[in-house]
Amino acid sequence: MKEKDGYSECPEQQVILYVEKEDGKYEAIQTGSYLSANYLDDFFLKRKNLEKMLGEKIEKGEINAIGYFMVMEDLSFSELAARTGILKWNVRKHLKAGNFSRISESALKKYSMVFNVPVEEIVRKQSENRKQDNDH
Amino acid sequence: MIIENYHHKMAAHCESGSITSLLNHAGLKITEPMVFGISSGIFFGYFHNMKSFTFPTFIVRNKPGQMRKNLEKRTGVRFNTRDFKDQGSGQEALDLLISKGVPAATQVDFFYLDYVPSWERVHINVHFLVVIGKENDVYKVSDSYFPQPVDLPVKSMNNARFAHGNMSPRGFIFYPRYVPETFDYEKAIRKGIKKACFYMLKIPIPFLGIKGMRMFAKKITDWPAMARDTEHLSHEVMKINILLEDQGTGGAGFRFMYATFLQQASEIIDKPELREFAKELMEIGDGWREFSLFAARIGKNRDLGPEKFKQMSSLIYQRADKEEDFFKRLSKTIK
Repeated sequence: MKEKDGYSECPEQQVILYVEKEDGKYEAIQTGSYLSANYLDDFFLKRKNLEKMLGEKIEKGEINAIGYFMVMEDLSFSELAARTGILKWNVRKHLKAGNFSRISESALKKYSMVFNVPVEEIVRKQSENRKQDNDH
Repeated sequence: MIIENYHHKMAAHCESGSITSLLNHAGLKITEPMVFGISSGIFFGYFHNMKSFTFPTFIVRNKPGQMRKNLEKRTGVRFNTRDFKDQGSGQEALDLLISKGVPAATQVDFFYLDYVPSWERVHINVHFLVVIGKENDVYKVSDSYFPQPVDLPVKSMNNARFAHGNMSPRGFIFYPRYVPETFDYEKAIRKGIKKACFYMLKIPIPFLGIKGMRMFAKKITDWPAMARDTEHLSHEVMKINILLEDQGTGGAGFRFMYATFLQQASEIIDKPELREFAKELMEIGDGWREFSLFAARIGKNRDLGPEKFKQMSSLIYQRADKEEDFFKRLSKTIK
């Protein structure tokens, strides 16, 4: 890639690219991320739509807040079990929408550590959407 | 305490960048592409059905940690390495090194790094950064993806170092124990290239190397059936661009950085043919970039019909054919 083709304007996300300079030497340049410079709005749109869709699923009783954060953070079922140290068998039970209230406090803490959100936030996500369901 | 004489520098990749930076600090003048090339960093692997991932993905560099090991074998550099059973002992060891003025690289889950913008934060346990200080329960970090050193609270550092799951870091740290003034570059470069050619051409596993590229080309047409909806598919297709360009590769899935290595190698060992190979790989890299920009564009436009996946498949097959020919000839030249 020629140097002139390598530059993108994105102060929030800088990257190093190796390019061909005018003298034919290959060297590093610091530039903005092309993807973030051009497509970040699309990323946020999709994220917002995903949040909405998952919120509706909680509302309908199809998933619970554990499933919500698992999808939002792009974790597979196996990876979630490995990261929390909770047996797959139990994670499977915890992911069933109706079982949220049966998840122990210690298990919730483990999920909270992995998701990097407070336990209260997980509980709020669950109750907020289920409340909407009750209001309907 | 902050290690004042540590020179922070951005790099294309976290592992090769951290290694380069630590070696430079220890007095060995070596570039990131040279570290990457000698350690046979260039690679390809496609994972269609791995339980750790939610969707098929691919890698474009060798296994995390392998660069450091390969470099030790080929240059005589020696690193101290250590992992830990618990956060307490891990933090204690890191703090002790800082107090002695020893910068150390550590392996972390990218997701817990507070200084990373939200859209970049993903759970991936194989990010490397160098810790260069600590003041008031905040670490000073030299992360090669950022223009300046950054701050990271102790709690976040511990969460990042002791995340569980696939490739769990277990607080892993490394720092140079012995760094030679110089080494036999010719031998190291030849070994590095030979091993890279082996990785690309001869690993007898169907999803690795050129075979992996062809598997990617074949399987990408299955992606639409695996996505939950169009926006999910769009996201996964646009991730191709992230994996090739944004996730610390130096552009075109490390092909530009490896081309730079070949150009530097041609001068160091006085082998002009390598300069031609460098030029060729730069062009191959341009093809990968064309592919990644195509993926970003169709993802954004939600133009994700079967014909687009056939087009992507065809572009990958072309890259595979070109790289197979390239590495076969490179392998013969370097013998």
